[in-house]
Amino acid sequence: MGPLLPQNIINGDLNFFFALIIGIGFGFILEQAGFSSSRKLAGVFYGYDFVVLKVFFTAGITAAIGIFFFDYFGWIDMNFVYINPLFLYSAIIGGVIMGIGFILGGFCPGTSIAAAAIGKIDAIVFVLGIFIGVFIFGYFYDVFENIYLAKNMGDLRVHDALGLSQAWFLFALILMALTAFIITQKIENKSNKFKELLNIQKLNVNYSFGFVIILAIITVLLPQQKKTYLHEVSKIEIAEKLNDKSRLVSAQQLAHHIIHDANKLLIIDLRTKQEYDEFHLPTAINIQRNDVILKENKKTLQPEDKMVIFYSNGAQDAELAWFMATRAGLKNLHVLDGGLNKFFDVLFGEIADFETKDIRELSDRRFIAFARKFFQDGEVYQRKHSGGEVSKDSGHTVKAVKGGC
Amino acid sequence: MDTNTNKEQKAYMNPYLAGFLLGLLLLVTIFISGRGLGASGAIKSLVVAGTQTVTKDAHNISQFFVSDGNPLKSWLLFEVVGVILGAFLSGFLSNRLTWKIDKGPRIKNITRLILALTGGLFFGLGSQFGRGCTSGAALSGMAVFSAGGFLTMMAIFGTGYMIAYFFRKLWI
Repeated sequence: MGPLLPQNIINGDLNFFFALIIGIGFGFILEQAGFSSSRKLAGVFYGYDFVVLKVFFTAGITAAIGIFFFDYFGWIDMNFVYINPLFLYSAIIGGVIMGIGFILGGFCPGTSIAAAAIGKIDAIVFVLGIFIGVFIFGYFYDVFENIYLAKNMGDLRVHDALGLSQAWFLFALILMALTAFIITQKIENKSNKFKELLNIQKLNVNYSFGFVIILAIITVLLPQQKKTYLHEVSKIEIAEKLNDKSRLVSAQQLAHHIIHDANKLLIIDLRTKQEYDEFHLPTAINIQRNDVILKENKKTLQPEDKMVIFYSNGAQDAELAWFMATRAGLKNLHVLDGGLNKFFDVLFGEIADFETKDIRELSDRRFIAFARKFFQDGEVYQRKHSGGEVSKDSGHTVKAVKGGC
Repeated sequence: MDTNTNKEQKAYMNPYLAGFLLGLLLLVTIFISGRGLGASGAIKSLVVAGTQTVTKDAHNISQFFVSDGNPLKSWLLFEVVGVILGAFLSGFLSNRLTWKIDKGPRIKNITRLILALTGGLFFGLGSQFGRGCTSGAALSGMAVFSAGGFLTMMAIFGTGYMIAYFFRKLWI
């Protein structure tokens, strides 16, 4: 189901409206929590005010627990969620520089913007500093580029990096957070500095702590579930479909269909737009491989009375698209076996000319000879199916697609 | 901006409650937009756009100033406009709207401002290396179990604790 915008489940025009509303909530909470005061923020490093740790860690585990359960129940497809990529050196260097910035400036970017909004002059100056810092990075980007792009470990998940299951990692994280809350509270109570900064709303959080511990235990007791999203086909079903070779359509079959019942076919060209424009099979429409799972293409790909056939230059892209789309719940999809390359090899390669009386072999040869004429001479096609789209020059540009995979 | 010196500032929200609400907001944000909260990204796109306005040769300075036309950049801009509005609203409701310089008791205003500028500069630079700041990399990264997010978070706070002692005069 989610995330909504990347999958076009809600109108993209509402994009900025959501951004604005979310921002208002973000700014409101930051200011209410006291993140608009650099002295409160710096307190986390000097033991007199741990608001940063409390808010930050609570927000982190709340969202992480939420994501864990959303993912578990299939309410959100994590394939569409941005996982901050890890570039090892750059992540550490950036963190160290930001740590220095935190001690010197007493803010981080989000909090400084919130503080500037209520008139904190030090925050306004801090924001100005961010602009300069970002510009410096850009100005010397060529110098930094190597280190910035070094050791790319992709969207590595933290539990995978540590070799833990996600549930156990979350369990450990929650316990760490609760322990940190209890210890820092003791330190904060002992500190006798700046008590005026601790003018906070009192709240009994014991029950909430207990509830979070129960949630942590539930996460590790949950049965390891097969990851299946709401509309998705299970892994077992996919395995069965993969073994079932009926999805494969041979070159002869496809040629036969195109000649005799093209109106019952929906041919999908998965290659690039450029390749498609250069040449494509008659009536084929162009959808990029990764776009076959987009919601807007779902209707197109599930016509009621047509046979859907994917093709690419080789077989690999078409098979991948078939897998992705089938996994996403689309049905009755077919793949051109061997891709365009094989299609042309069969239709325009050499026809065996040894003597034979095998009726099957003979009829095969006859059909190929006929199909060859049909595809090279688009007019045959036009006469038969007036009105349909025809790529007339198909016979002449055959070479363009050959060899590429 | 009004200075409500006559009215008492309201107490800050309980940090656990604020954290819980922030966590819910982050979860909703990820559910809607497919990515977390951010702040430094908006400043980056403003810097890139600003540089492009000032000089036509911005793209010659470095690859950094070549805009990639990513729509999310404007998403972040709208979000930051929202942050300003939301914080202002909160400050208004809690009687905290006032021109003020926050600083430790042992330093002068001018020292505080110079250090704030330097700190911002460091944060701006570091957020580019870290591919996000405390909100975009550390907090949002934590929510989606990103190893990069956790590492950057540990580097930020680890460094902070390591050097805090030497800069204690600034704050305590």
